Amino acid sequence: MEIEREAMRYQQAVRVLPPYLRRWALDIPLREQAEAEEVRLRVGQPLALVLPKGERWLEGPRVETRDLEQLVELASGASLHAVLDQVRRGYLTAAGGHRIGLCGSAVLREGDIQGFRNLSSAALRVARQVQGASKGVLEQLCREGRLESTLILAPPGLGKTTLLRDVIRRVSGGEGCLPLRVALADERGEVAALYRGSPQLEVGPRTDVVEGCPKDRGLMLMLRAMNPQVLAVDEITAPQDVAALKTAVGCGVTLLATAHGTGREDMEHRALYRPLLQERMFRKLVRIVRREGVRRYVVEDLE
Amino acid sequence: MVRMIGAALVAVGSAWLGFGAAGELGARVRALEETEEGLSLMAQELELDAPPLEQLMQRLIPRSRGGARRLFEGCQKALEHLEEEPFSLAWQRLVEKEEVLGREGQACLYPLGEVLGRCGWEEQRRILEVTARRLEQAGARAREERGRMSRVYQALGLSGGALAAILLL
Repeated sequence: MEIEREAMRYQQAVRVLPPYLRRWALDIPLREQAEAEEVRLRVGQPLALVLPKGERWLEGPRVETRDLEQLVELASGASLHAVLDQVRRGYLTAAGGHRIGLCGSAVLREGDIQGFRNLSSAALRVARQVQGASKGVLEQLCREGRLESTLILAPPGLGKTTLLRDVIRRVSGGEGCLPLRVALADERGEVAALYRGSPQLEVGPRTDVVEGCPKDRGLMLMLRAMNPQVLAVDEITAPQDVAALKTAVGCGVTLLATAHGTGREDMEHRALYRPLLQERMFRKLVRIVRREGVRRYVVEDLE
Repeated sequence: MVRMIGAALVAVGSAWLGFGAAGELGARVRALEETEEGLSLMAQELELDAPPLEQLMQRLIPRSRGGARRLFEGCQKALEHLEEEPFSLAWQRLVEKEEVLGREGQACLYPLGEVLGRCGWEEQRRILEVTARRLEQAGARAREERGRMSRVYQALGLSGGALAAILLL
């Protein structure tokens, strides 16, 4: 059942491929469909499938430039202008929240990427969400049933965004805690994956999302406009993000954020993250660690 | 009696051809005007909030008329079947069907297939405005031709019919 559900996500993702390539992408075992992380299209090469164990070529014809153009047309509904801001950042989101990274000859204007001419490759990333990822964790992040300000810390690729999304979903839905209004600043659209105004990944019924603008501006916009009880952001990467979070704390909003790092000591050594500890902006820290190939969540008090 | 009926039929047929030709000129003028209006509306909507083409067509269909409406309805259907036919080819096909626009009108519209939904909205709006201006010019020429030729066609039809009737009688 689980395999079938995951395979369906893959089948939904490859709908944006030109029909004759899609046939080859679907001509793989169900288990591989369920495990596939990405489908890679490179001009002059056959399709490639990225699996947890590595990348493998699929049988079938070699990809041509026009295939990539059709991919963009199908993913954007022949409306490049409506997704151009995303394309300028190198990707676009298709129905279902699946993300297509694009490469080619960049068109620059005043130093900024305006788009791509002659697309050369694309990475179709299958959007997968793990509902229940925060089971056993969220309970430790609440005091009297209410979420406390939490920072999720882990090196890249360990599932920070997945955990963040599931905590948001449960807090927003009041699943195992008090229901709260969540405002999410989703700069790169990786948490909610808005598609024509609708989140493609489950973020709960009381969640408002701003996408596509710098995190600090998104956070301030949400704070002013949406009266949130929880302010969520994926990946604190700049001093402006920290400043915006500080303002939010002053307004009595609960914070929920992720950052790259391995632990408290690591944070203390980094100028960017040090204020988060010094100003006591977060009360809980969740570290994600991998031991013997198994992902584990370690919850610590920061007070 | 049979000869009389035959002569009458020839006269009426000839006149119908003449009036038909004149009517075609009028229809071309109308179609060019309608399409120009439709493209101007499209440019306005793009400037308003640059909606995806599917939404754009939904907004334009009830507000446009004649040939422009047919074109937008065709686009809406084509957008539902992008897997089968790229939008640029669908546009080409839809324009080809609008013979009433004449070759000049169709030639103005063909390049739009390579632009709509394929670049930023500012660029699309600019090209839509240029195309609308070209259609306006084509419309002016068609109006002039209608003024000049429709009476000629009507007169030719009537006089041709009369001549044939005389000869037959």
